[in-house]
Amino acid sequence: MKRKTIVVKTEMMQSPDSWSFREGAWLSAALVLVGIVLEVTGGEGGVPFPSWPMNLVILLLLVVNIVLAGLLLRDNPVVRWLGGIPLGLCLILSIAALSLVGGVLPQTKGAGPLWAGAMGLDSVFSSWPFALTVFFFLVNLGLSLVWKTVPFKVSNLQFVLFHAGFWIALACGLAGATDLQRVIIPLYEGRSTDRAWTPADKTMIGLPFSLYLKDFEMLEYSPRLALYDQTHERFIPHKAGVTDDMRQGLEVSWENVEVKVERYLENAIFKEGQAEPAPAGTKDALPWAYLSGTYEGKSLLGWVSTGSPFIKPSFIGHGDKLIVLLPGSPKKYRSEITVMLDGTEEGRSAALEVNRPLSVKGWNLYQMGYDEKAGRWSELSLVEGVKDPWLPMVYLGFFMILAGNTLFFWKGIRKK
Amino acid sequence: MTWTDFPYVSYSAMICWAGGTLLGLLSARARVLKISGMALMIAGTGIMTVFLVLFWMELDRPPLRTLGETRLWYATLIPLVGFLVEYRWKIAWLKYYCVAMASFFLFINILFPDVYDKTLMPALQSGWFVPHVVVYLVGYVLLAASSLAAWHNLYRRSKSFDELGESLSHYLALLGFVFLTFGLVFGALWAKEAWGHYWTWDPKETWALIAWLVYLGYMHANSAKVDKSLLQWYLALAFFVLLVSWFGVNYLPSAQDSVHTYQTG
Repeated sequence: MKRKTIVVKTEMMQSPDSWSFREGAWLSAALVLVGIVLEVTGGEGGVPFPSWPMNLVILLLLVVNIVLAGLLLRDNPVVRWLGGIPLGLCLILSIAALSLVGGVLPQTKGAGPLWAGAMGLDSVFSSWPFALTVFFFLVNLGLSLVWKTVPFKVSNLQFVLFHAGFWIALACGLAGATDLQRVIIPLYEGRSTDRAWTPADKTMIGLPFSLYLKDFEMLEYSPRLALYDQTHERFIPHKAGVTDDMRQGLEVSWENVEVKVERYLENAIFKEGQAEPAPAGTKDALPWAYLSGTYEGKSLLGWVSTGSPFIKPSFIGHGDKLIVLLPGSPKKYRSEITVMLDGTEEGRSAALEVNRPLSVKGWNLYQMGYDEKAGRWSELSLVEGVKDPWLPMVYLGFFMILAGNTLFFWKGIRKK
Repeated sequence: MTWTDFPYVSYSAMICWAGGTLLGLLSARARVLKISGMALMIAGTGIMTVFLVLFWMELDRPPLRTLGETRLWYATLIPLVGFLVEYRWKIAWLKYYCVAMASFFLFINILFPDVYDKTLMPALQSGWFVPHVVVYLVGYVLLAASSLAAWHNLYRRSKSFDELGESLSHYLALLGFVFLTFGLVFGALWAKEAWGHYWTWDPKETWALIAWLVYLGYMHANSAKVDKSLLQWYLALAFFVLLVSWFGVNYLPSAQDSVHTYQTG
């Protein structure tokens, strides 16, 4: 009887010396469970985390503790296990599994059923299970880094660059998230503003500069001919499945409908009383196409145009089908702006374009959008302002990962 | 050359690959068969490469926007991995799996033809576009080849132990992981330029991270000396996660808020 008890005991509580994958899996599962309990009992708040400068203090305390534990308790079996590969692997797979939930379910608050919201399933990446798992992951990664860095060997360089880069990018990205500001600056042509809208907490804030919008301009791709089915409210795809640029002589066909472009004017105005549109270079000019063709054997002839917010589109109708000219999708859009800093009368001219942001006083400005109903006639330009004081640290992490990765690549192709 | 010519081009490539495979498998004793088989294999990939170049010129933009276009690159690149492996490690069997997989992806494109569309939305007009997507595609083909090698190893394992084959799937996974890492970080740097932030948990980003974590897990399982046949299973199955992050993600409920939607038609 006594003997049996001892056996059970050794199975239940193995000495930390032999801790490995099984204990790693238990800890990972426990973290998720505790996280779910905190999520259900904690209410709506999510994971509270302070902003500058307390986030930096917490991060530094974490670093100091990891370094001290790594150096002073190097031979402690629990610490060895905490910084070992088995736990690391379990935590990596646990983060992957949590990301899987966040990658399958829509991540919009209130998007799913209530119970899912209560467990944080609609905001996995700011939930307790994720935060706890990532915290232990940072501890695990940090300990292994301390051991590979002290004492340092050149052969460890790739390991240190990759792992330290990952640690810095992950820790600074998460701890710095509370200092990240993303605002929308609505700009109207001919007006200036120094106010911005914060979507996160629905407030207006003042900016340390003001922006004046001289001009918003947009280039579009070539318009396209399309057949619209009014009964089913849908566009019917062409026979060839080919979308070619509009030009004179272009032939397009659908079932029962064949159309040829007799004339094409890229920019023209059709004045009332005139027989046909006349080419024009003004802003209200539109693309016009003169079509000939057949519809179920009957011939058709006429002008079509895309229309604009001011002019109705022109189309050729037959029964419930319409032959229409659709405006091309946006090719480029840009805002010509003047940036005025405090107190200076004269501003700096600049152009904002997608993929070409501008940096002003710690803010990055991005061409974000425009009035989509007005399209290229929009007089509104939406600019996004982003301030992320932790970005240099995150980028430092990224570049260390890239450097470590390059070394890893050489190692990989050199080995036989 | 456009999608209109695509079926003829891809059937020609597939015929070359099939001929090359046949000659290669029959070539046990005859060197002349082996060489002509290899020539046919390379010709098949050559046809796809020429098509890709002409298609790029015709489109006036990199043909890397739609899923159909990425499948085209995939089908062109994966046989190259097979050829390089034969050149580097003298392993001939991988290329047969590679051309089979390339043909499979060409078939998908024939069955679901893309709309010929020259437009490129402003968000994609960036110097990052080509490096980000090409690095990812190279990573994907290496990991696909790694998975094919792992399936081959698992099949062979029941008969005999093949150490060379097992290190092959490992090194392909290692190189593939390196490319996934480049792709992920390039994507983050580009996202900062285009969308204002390097990481927004967009479904495509999340799935790219999941795939990366899965292979990161493999690298650690390998370091921890996990059982070898378990590792082969891991590599064989991990590729399905990549497939989700490549195109499966578009069909998930989370995709409704994605900014990574570049499909038209």
